[in-house]
Amino acid sequence: MVNPFREFHAIQGGRREIPLDRIIASKDLILDRLIVGYHKLIEEEVHNLVWLVDHGALPRAYAAAEKAIAEVNFTVEDVEDFCFTLEKADSFALALAGPSGLYLSAMCNRVEGTEISLRLKGLKSRVHLLGYRLPEGKRLIVEGSCGDFAGAAMEGGEIIVQGNTGNWTGVGLKRGKITVEGNAGERTGEWMEGGEVQVKGRIGSLGQVQGGKVYLGDLQVAPVRETT
Amino acid sequence: MPTSETDHHHTIHALYDFISEHLYLNRPDLEVDGEKFNSALLLSLLTALLGGKELVIGEPGLGKTTSAEYVCALLYRIPLGVLWGSEVAGHPEQTEEKMVGRPDLGKLNRGEEQVVWSNFVQLPVKIIDEINRLPETKQSLILDGIDRGNWEYLNQILLQDEYCLFATANYQDQGTQTLIPPLLDRFDVMVESKHPGANLSFFISQQEQKEHLLRDGECEREFYAVLLDKVAPEGKRAKLEEVGGRFAGLLHERHNLTTLEKEERRTLRAAIAGLEFSAEASAFTRTALTELSFCCTYGQKRSNEECLEGCHYSGYLCYQVRNCASNRLPISLRRYAQALAWLLSSSQVEAEHVRCVFPFVIAHRVQWRDAYVSAREREARRDPLPIHLAKQAVAEIWHRFVEQREQIMGALAQAARILAGEDLQPLEGDHPIFVEIKRDLGGDQLW
Repeated sequence: MVNPFREFHAIQGGRREIPLDRIIASKDLILDRLIVGYHKLIEEEVHNLVWLVDHGALPRAYAAAEKAIAEVNFTVEDVEDFCFTLEKADSFALALAGPSGLYLSAMCNRVEGTEISLRLKGLKSRVHLLGYRLPEGKRLIVEGSCGDFAGAAMEGGEIIVQGNTGNWTGVGLKRGKITVEGNAGERTGEWMEGGEVQVKGRIGSLGQVQGGKVYLGDLQVAPVRETT
Repeated sequence: MPTSETDHHHTIHALYDFISEHLYLNRPDLEVDGEKFNSALLLSLLTALLGGKELVIGEPGLGKTTSAEYVCALLYRIPLGVLWGSEVAGHPEQTEEKMVGRPDLGKLNRGEEQVVWSNFVQLPVKIIDEINRLPETKQSLILDGIDRGNWEYLNQILLQDEYCLFATANYQDQGTQTLIPPLLDRFDVMVESKHPGANLSFFISQQEQKEHLLRDGECEREFYAVLLDKVAPEGKRAKLEEVGGRFAGLLHERHNLTTLEKEERRTLRAAIAGLEFSAEASAFTRTALTELSFCCTYGQKRSNEECLEGCHYSGYLCYQVRNCASNRLPISLRRYAQALAWLLSSSQVEAEHVRCVFPFVIAHRVQWRDAYVSAREREARRDPLPIHLAKQAVAEIWHRFVEQREQIMGALAQAARILAGEDLQPLEGDHPIFVEIKRDLGGDQLW
């Protein structure tokens, strides 16, 4: 057979690197490290999937998430990319609702940058605990709906959920504001100490609101205002 | 008589300069390797040098025919008066007998068949004026002659070993016909003879008759005497060369111009054909040819099939073209790029030379999708639409090639090693040339 390429035989074909290649490679590396960190968290905490009802388990798992990402230098875009990874993930581990929310929260709380958009519309399961311990000065915009415990123990900042939230929205909220553009589930505002939860749709039921305010639309529903 | 390669370069450059300064005055519109040229004159010169086929388009009276006549008169040592008498004019009533040959009526009366070949067929220079006024059926009559230099009439055949062809075409009007695609494809290049601009145009009007520079009554009579002689054309060639030699002497005497005799032209063509493509020029040519022939869905481009919407390769030109590049296209491209490289004294054909001639090689051959034409026809430009589209297309392909040059050349090198027996895998990439390479390696499914 004729070799129509023979004039190229002596050419040493090397791949030329362009700046975009370097950027993509760097982004891929960061995302890989974030995924490795997430798997590490799952390995450490998977035996304790009942930690949601164990009071000490949550801070312990959060500390493990913080430790997993401590060495990774990531940006807001990497957090958003991690969400896409969750969306496309086929593995059971990546789609675990509780740990993924806690891990995302740890990332959001640590990343430099004030505004973070998370696209959760395509996720197969709802992400719990999103916005856990969100600090002052951060704004988290969620495209889609969250699972339970959205904005749990928030320490400031703002969460805007462009969908629905599950039960215990704003549980243990200390400061900051949660806006839910859809509906919120049962026991909304449970053990709130301060801050504000505003639900524009419907509220399943209110929890024991100890401080702060809960609004249904523009109407304050907790604590209930005394009419004169 | 020029003897060395350097002498030949000097001769051809001197001819270009003489024509551009005295006969065909126009602006340079092409720059290659830092030298500026007028594209119509440059390509006509290369066509005459190579023995190629050129289609010259343009408005009436802007020097389409005369540019070809001047170049051919000097390159082939034929006085203008003889060229005028050998040109074929395109019109609906044109006949094979006027274009190619007729029976010798005297001999026919005596029961003998003898063809009297037309001057057009006998001379190595062939100029068809307003070819698009020939009806489509009559265009077919000259296909073979144009393609191979074989002219047939009454079972007699005239074979020519050296010829070049120039055809001119006006833009579409009521009297013009469509040039049939097989005829168009036989032209190596298409170029426009442009308006020289108001200032040069006015200057031209002040020039005295310039045709006399390339005319001589005595020589023209001698030429006609040889052409009208009824001996076999093969026997006339030496005589025509001899008369041409006398005309060359006059040109040297009058204008200090050196011209080439037939053997020198042959040597020069061999030198041009011997120029190799650089690896980059070769890779770019392959990349461009891929975009003009590739289809991922149907295997190749076909003029009766249209690409599917949403094709992965819709960012490449294969999505925008309707027909497939013929095998004549790379032949034209190679020859003209080699000739340009030779003219510029380059030791090999570089990608720059390929880029320069590519638009003129594809302008008349590529049929674009209507949407692509509509999107570009209102763009600011200095060329007629087909050449503008071709230039834009080549610029696009070049841009993509530069971005992926290392990968493409690497893939070609890898393919060379695979076919030489090394146990390697073909390289992957986005450009369709990577698929073409895989197909050549048998790695892509065949059906």
